[in-house]
Amino acid sequence: MSDDNAFADLIQDYIAECLPLAEAVTSAFLALERRWRDGDPDAADVARLKGTLHTLKGNSAMMGLAPMQLVAHVLEDLAAHVLADPAARTELAAALLVEGSGLLTDLVQAAADPAALAGAADEYAAQVRVHLGAAGDTAAAPLRLERRSTERRELGADAAGTIRVDFRRLDTLLEIFGEAMIERSALLEVHRQLAARYGARAEITDLDRVVTALGATMKRLETALMQTRLLPIARVFSRFGRSVRDLARAEHKRVRLVTEGDDTLLDKTILDRLGEPLVHLVSNAVVHGIEPEAERLAAGKPAEATLSLRATALADRVQITVADDGRGLDTDRILAKAQAHGLDVPSTDPAAVQALIFVPGFSTAERVSRVAGRGVGLDAAAAAIHELGGGIEVASEPGRGTAFTLSVPLTLAIVRSLIVEVDRERYAVPLSHVAETVRLEPGTLHEINRRGVAMWRGSAIHVADGGRLLGTESTRTAPRNYFVVLFAGPRRRGVLVDRLVGHQDVVVKGLDPTLGRPDVVSGATILGDGRVACILDAAGIVALREVA
Amino acid sequence: MAKSSKVAVAAGAPSVFEFADQVSAREAAAPAPAPAGQLHLITFRLDGEEFGLPVETVREVIRVGDVTRVPQAPAHIRGVTNLRGRILPVVEIRTRLGLAPLVPRSTARIIVVEVRGRVLGLLVDSVAQVQKLPADRLVAAPDEVKSAHTTYLTGVVHLDDRLIILLDLALALDAPGASPS
Repeated sequence: MSDDNAFADLIQDYIAECLPLAEAVTSAFLALERRWRDGDPDAADVARLKGTLHTLKGNSAMMGLAPMQLVAHVLEDLAAHVLADPAARTELAAALLVEGSGLLTDLVQAAADPAALAGAADEYAAQVRVHLGAAGDTAAAPLRLERRSTERRELGADAAGTIRVDFRRLDTLLEIFGEAMIERSALLEVHRQLAARYGARAEITDLDRVVTALGATMKRLETALMQTRLLPIARVFSRFGRSVRDLARAEHKRVRLVTEGDDTLLDKTILDRLGEPLVHLVSNAVVHGIEPEAERLAAGKPAEATLSLRATALADRVQITVADDGRGLDTDRILAKAQAHGLDVPSTDPAAVQALIFVPGFSTAERVSRVAGRGVGLDAAAAAIHELGGGIEVASEPGRGTAFTLSVPLTLAIVRSLIVEVDRERYAVPLSHVAETVRLEPGTLHEINRRGVAMWRGSAIHVADGGRLLGTESTRTAPRNYFVVLFAGPRRRGVLVDRLVGHQDVVVKGLDPTLGRPDVVSGATILGDGRVACILDAAGIVALREVA
Repeated sequence: MAKSSKVAVAAGAPSVFEFADQVSAREAAAPAPAPAGQLHLITFRLDGEEFGLPVETVREVIRVGDVTRVPQAPAHIRGVTNLRGRILPVVEIRTRLGLAPLVPRSTARIIVVEVRGRVLGLLVDSVAQVQKLPADRLVAAPDEVKSAHTTYLTGVVHLDDRLIILLDLALALDAPGASPS
């Protein structure tokens, strides 16, 4: 390994170690700012935070990251200052602590390119020194490179018995597990053949037992393996403390962020893709959902709004709610706008009207603001959630607030799938996108405008031919036997297939860029017989405009 | 000819024993690079003509198992195959050179190459041999070869009465004119 690579690895280790610390300090200072503003000058946890800042300073110094070292250092001074003197616990001091820890978080995150924010670090340090000087303090002590050998151990102490593992290693484990699953399928096939040939001999009975036990063990191994990949949703929620504060400030609003269920666990494959839709929803709530202070007071509501992020674990899904106590959705205006845009309004029932806000291009925002205007937020957020095999719903009461409820699967790494056959090609369809499989009876399928249409659960849905959709180049004319109703969000589409092969947990693998970017498949997997099968992209298929 | 998704080498489905062998097969490690001044080629046949690739770019040569077609993939992609749990894109280099897609026979092989950090399989009619020869035997392609194979060749080697055409691995990547992603 070259020195450059070694250094890059060290920087990654530094980020992995320090980012959670910096984020934790930021959240704690945000809470402190709130307390002090409410007139409670308690500073009990500042001593602990000062210790964490000291660790951050030491780690940064060791890596030669001067801007981080500087910011951690002045934050430590500021913490010492407020700790020593209750009179110094002002809103201004708290705001400086929040700003500094936020800056430190940004710096740590950008550690691979530390020069980028160096100016901001100097500026902040100067600001703190002015503050401390004005408070009658002596000038900040010069930077000293200090690092006690016990620090690393202290760090690990609150997480005794845990180790940090590069996530790629967990991916490798999962890949090996996938191979083992395939080899087990091969073993099952041999077992079946032997049983057919030799019947109920004692050895075959033994083999039965071993094969059954192996199956159960593999299932446990899968569960245990998935457990190691789960991370608390706090990793996503923690981002919002500061962004909500900053955004509310820019909007001249007061917003209190409350999070619940921070320790709810999700696979990293989901967590990584959850941040963006949540940013849309949270920004939307602060900018559009929550009224200006005067309007709130006039309505007899507290001046400070409450925005809550709540995660709840269900059996194999996680539910996340983003709720505000703002003005609520204006159903009449949504309806008027939908009609003005010529949108299809299925019913004037409030829930149905509210669901229109997820339609692409729709936005009820009156003002175009920096963050959440332009009507791109909600439909993009909804699309991102649908792609994950999740759902999004809105509930709103005029004057009382709006709640978005998201439901997402625990993981995208191993997906329970329906295996189907179309023109002798096999495809995996994630069950999270399958509404139903229907056996095709004569007269089920109608042709309207050269498109297949079937009645399904009381409404007409488009049913596309699997062979044409997937380009199998088959010349068959015989009708297919089944259609699978795919869904993503509110959209549905039937796909005709020849055979339903069965259910299987598949290990999802991405497509190499050489294969292009198909709309109809999202990845591939290896089936029990060792063959590769493509995974249908249900969200892509239901969104296709032109299909036969 | 209708493109079949299955490229079974033997008649009928391969038995699970064959499959297990395939899973456990671990082929030889990469060969040492050729000494300076030496050209170390792996040669293979396409439609009766002999082509070559530098051995250093080749990871291994495998038999043709099941190749799964990928919907909407670029025209020169035959599909994907299972390389010991890894999903390997298989490139139909014949169509890249203006030939008809391969109807595989038992001699067909997939040459696994690494090109610009990607691991890809090249489907060929058969693999001929590994050939060592002096580097100065490589000459620019004569016009009649150029017209037949257009781009994607780096030169030719005359060896006794044989003509070996050296391929440029860029042919395995994106379609001509398409920007590499």
